[in-house]
Amino acid sequence: MIAQLPIVSMVMLLGMALIIPLFKRRNFSVTTSLGFVVLLAVWVLTLLVLWHVRVEGPMTYRFGNYEAFLGIELYIDLFAVLFVFFILSLIMVIYVYSTGDATEGVAEKEYGRYYILLFILLFAMLGIIYTNDLFNTYVFMEILSITTVSIISIKRKKENYTASFRYVMLNEIGSLSYLFGVALLYMVTGYTNIGLVAESIGQHWTAYPANATTAIGFMVVGVGIKSAVFPFHVWLPDAHSTAPSSSSAILSAIVVKVYILIMIKVLFRVFGLSVLDVIPVSTLLIAVAATGMIMGSMFAMAQTDIKRMLGYSSVAQVGYIVMGIGLISVLGLQAALFHVVSHALMKAALFLSVGAIIYKKKIRKVSEFNGMGFEMPVAMVVFTIAALGMIGVPMTTGFISKLNLGLAALDGGQAVLVFVLIVSGFLNALYYLPIIINAFLKDNPSQIRVMRVEKIPKTMLGPLVVLGALIVYFGLFPGVLIRVLEAVAASLL
Amino acid sequence: MSALLESVLDHINYLGAMALFVIGLHTVVTHSNLIKKIMGINIMGTAVFLFFVAIGNVTDGVPPIITGEDVIYINPLPSVLILTGIVVVVSITVYSLSLVVRIYETHGTVDQKEIARLNDEEAGL
Repeated sequence: MIAQLPIVSMVMLLGMALIIPLFKRRNFSVTTSLGFVVLLAVWVLTLLVLWHVRVEGPMTYRFGNYEAFLGIELYIDLFAVLFVFFILSLIMVIYVYSTGDATEGVAEKEYGRYYILLFILLFAMLGIIYTNDLFNTYVFMEILSITTVSIISIKRKKENYTASFRYVMLNEIGSLSYLFGVALLYMVTGYTNIGLVAESIGQHWTAYPANATTAIGFMVVGVGIKSAVFPFHVWLPDAHSTAPSSSSAILSAIVVKVYILIMIKVLFRVFGLSVLDVIPVSTLLIAVAATGMIMGSMFAMAQTDIKRMLGYSSVAQVGYIVMGIGLISVLGLQAALFHVVSHALMKAALFLSVGAIIYKKKIRKVSEFNGMGFEMPVAMVVFTIAALGMIGVPMTTGFISKLNLGLAALDGGQAVLVFVLIVSGFLNALYYLPIIINAFLKDNPSQIRVMRVEKIPKTMLGPLVVLGALIVYFGLFPGVLIRVLEAVAASLL
Repeated sequence: MSALLESVLDHINYLGAMALFVIGLHTVVTHSNLIKKIMGINIMGTAVFLFFVAIGNVTDGVPPIITGEDVIYINPLPSVLILTGIVVVVSITVYSLSLVVRIYETHGTVDQKEIARLNDEEAGL
């Protein structure tokens, strides 16, 4: 019975997306409250599954009860449920914010469509994480990328169209590369089920080294394009900066991470250590990640538009995560997974606080943030907390993830990576600190020096405060999360 | 020489798929016309589909329709998977074409270089 809850929650999300058009003539608050109820129900169901998996161990669910080699399977383990739970919690916070923000820049009659896309997006992400089938992952990936790009192009602006077009083209190259990798694996194993492929690869891959090597290359590059790993990041800044604020947060904080979770699944579930020890994937990933960490921050410094700057900062942060994966050790993977969570919290907080400022003041230039700390104290304080987290100041989650990454690098005998981490931290400070200093210490043009809580909808203030509090909370008490993620990392390796 | 030729002929499906994949990738990356980029994506998709279907082929196999005779069947699973794949690529194509229509309405051109020039001019003003 409990094994059916994941598919039930996916169907609930899809059903919600389908019934939104029926409420077209009602007041829009009916739709948003119904959506929240559905999200809450799915969240409770996932909590139930999480508790069950923690006690009883992983379970599988087969569609139509076909055998594993023929049908599609959901594999519900701690890794999957934990991240689904995290994604749902974060989406709920952003969802509440988006009802207040009026999803900046979107025409009034498009609101319903925006929420339809949001629910299908969520459905696809759950599917990707739960499924235990390589081809099924591809299909969900395509659903995810087409909904993502629709959300970007929902704002009827010139630059949104060009940004979406570039996104579609590069992501399609990524998906097709991934599918090519699946084909190469199917050629030698005859399965698309991850468990069976892994079994077969583990036993026979030395007989077909060419297939295994090309498949791993195609799949990692394909997923790498979609998760904006450094040389393939060109689509990200435009796409994420032109999207409506609340969806920028979703795209940067969650969607990119989902592709990284696929990369983890492909590397550790499908191929496993026996292949990774022989093929030098680790070295390549670390090299790409280290370059990305430095170059992403460099590009970010040159930006004048604050949302583009946050986009480039995401490129650098993805580098941290890929570095953790590239170390191929329990410590490294645990640090990478922790940074997935911590970056999601920080980037969501940054995009939402900037979104609040854009909503209220209609400014996007970095130079216009002077004195903003007096006009919009709550948004700016949350921005400051998250930015300090990005730099890696103690008492924030960013510090813990950098500490973990550094320890994992030393443990793997790669002391030079610690140096890269520190340099990247300094570069982050170079572009985040001036904004904070100008916001709180410089006078703004309108000479407002009275600090009072800004007049933005309560539904926008609440989520900001929650995110800021979570960043500090996990920075002070990371123990529980780290222990759980360590168990997850150990189960993957 | 004849051994090489034979090996090429034996793997003609795979080689063809690989060639199409590279042609498609080249088209997407180098052409500045947006419609041609979409065509490139389609060629890449076709390459992957051809490769997938070719894997399922069995020499002297027949389509898996049970008639009672004792024959070898080809593997039908890749073909079934590719039906889904074709649907996905068609929807992506439709979506990108609709985007191109919008881009043409707002920019008045479907050439990437021209669009970049227009954007630069706008940013300069």
